[in-house]
Amino acid sequence: MHVRITRLEISYEDFKLVAENLSMPPSRLTALIGPNGAGKTTLLKALAGLQKLPGGAVYINGQDLSRLKDSQRTRLVSYVPQEFSTAFNYGVLDFVLMGRSGYLNIFASPSASDYRQAEAVLDYLGLQRFREKKCLELSSGERRLVLIARALVQDTEVIILDEPTTFLDIKHEMEIAGLLRKLVEEKKKTVICSIHSLDLLPKLADQLVMIKNGRILASGPTPEVFRSDLLEKLFDFPLKVDQINGHVVVLR
Amino acid sequence: MNGLKNNKRQKYILLAAWVLPSILLFLSLGVGTYKISWAEVFNTIRSALRANQNLNLSPAAANIIINVRLPRILLALLAGSAFAVSGSVLQSLFRNPLVNEYVLGVSFGAGFGAAASLVLFSRQFPPQVAAFLFGLLAVFLVMTISEGARNSMMAVLLTGIVVSAFFQSLLSGVEFMASPYALQALFFWLLGSFSQVTWPDLLWTGPMVLLGLFLLIRMKWRINVLSLSDDEARALGVNVKKERFLVIALTTLITSAVVSVSGIIGWVGLIVPHAVRGLVGADNRLVIPVSAGLGASLMLLADDLIRAFSPYEFPVGIITNLVGIPFFLYLIKRSKKSWG
Repeated sequence: MHVRITRLEISYEDFKLVAENLSMPPSRLTALIGPNGAGKTTLLKALAGLQKLPGGAVYINGQDLSRLKDSQRTRLVSYVPQEFSTAFNYGVLDFVLMGRSGYLNIFASPSASDYRQAEAVLDYLGLQRFREKKCLELSSGERRLVLIARALVQDTEVIILDEPTTFLDIKHEMEIAGLLRKLVEEKKKTVICSIHSLDLLPKLADQLVMIKNGRILASGPTPEVFRSDLLEKLFDFPLKVDQINGHVVVLR
Repeated sequence: MNGLKNNKRQKYILLAAWVLPSILLFLSLGVGTYKISWAEVFNTIRSALRANQNLNLSPAAANIIINVRLPRILLALLAGSAFAVSGSVLQSLFRNPLVNEYVLGVSFGAGFGAAASLVLFSRQFPPQVAAFLFGLLAVFLVMTISEGARNSMMAVLLTGIVVSAFFQSLLSGVEFMASPYALQALFFWLLGSFSQVTWPDLLWTGPMVLLGLFLLIRMKWRINVLSLSDDEARALGVNVKKERFLVIALTTLITSAVVSVSGIIGWVGLIVPHAVRGLVGADNRLVIPVSAGLGASLMLLADDLIRAFSPYEFPVGIITNLVGIPFFLYLIKRSKKSWG
């Protein structure tokens, strides 16, 4: 599914995000990069339809998100936050099942078919070992996987993730990165996420959107945009993109 | 409840929680200062159910059972369910296991509404309705004032304390204006007791509580989702503002309907859900219905103890306060750990 933004303006007290005519192609992974406080999370929430838009609009396959009901929007796009927000220690299966909520009316509980869908996602992600565990007993990396599982149970074509690899050890970082590629290549999902790790980007992202101080600095296919000059300008820090043994690396 | 079917232990707990109040209801009819045998209790119920007049019943015993003990027991069951369910629901909604209707100001808001209706309008405006409106106003004030605070949990708790204090002051104003006779009744009512209940009271309170409980128990899965952050719940397809308002209105309805008859009985909504989560975990599909049954049973047992051992009407609200406040402090002490 194609995600498109017309001129978008979101203002806070002393911060303004402006994004014009941004387009994220279907069945590709688009990564948002930029320094802390650049507006990545705000843009992601806008793309997920979770942000009030005083100006502009987000279209998914031509449908204006702001004109959709919550239950309609939830079938188009899912959102994966950085961390759990619950104070209660739900079982992993119950937590993943919450992804079906948009398909249920206010008085309904998940049906047998919802359970089958959740089990299938846990199988697909190799998470059956966590099935009986409690959410708050999982490690950070495991929690991210469970959050992604919940988004998959929601069964949307567009998945938006807020910093899915931040604060993870290298093993879990690579596991999540591999999973996101798998979702794009096998399931043909349109994945949009913010990423801090520059080393991951060349192999992970098909498209990049560079954000600085609430403005889009550059956007386009990764091989075209992932350049030393743009990265230096983005982070105000000397960086050099180079190739070692055929791998693109960033030298500091 | 597909996922719950496999867990036998949880199923038995749910069954026990719902059967226990029915057993206690029957047993409690025999408890009280006036001695009535189990046979008399049994015959009175049979007579009432079948309109059978040939069972040689003592009119005094039948009158006590039907018109004094039965409404009191039913109110205790309804009150226990209402407080425990509203506690478990509000804790989920505010993502804070320390929240209950007492902390959120609902109890004192509803208490003021009912007291104003009794004293200032001589019941011309139904106390149940006044209690509901002022209970809703109290929780609306807490939510509006604490909205947007950096530490929202702490803000809710502190605002709840302030709003409770505000309605307590208004309540004192009503007490000041009350006649000596009304003041005595008001004072005893505020301490929290089931002793004054009559069938007409129950005819107002019962349907309100049963309707609220029915809808909240039906919403048990949705309440799981509402316990996530607003952004997450919205991303999952929940209309957070509308559904949160509905849930708060329902919890206020059941709490205020009880408070308008029984007075303020605190802390049941804190103790019961906490104990239930220890038994069945955090899933509200179990926590809410089990809390309803267990809350009803505990409330009735507390009232039974008073009727069995106290020669005079000791307010049950004093007992729940004496147990609840240390329990609240204990929960604050261990609040760094997870819940459920």
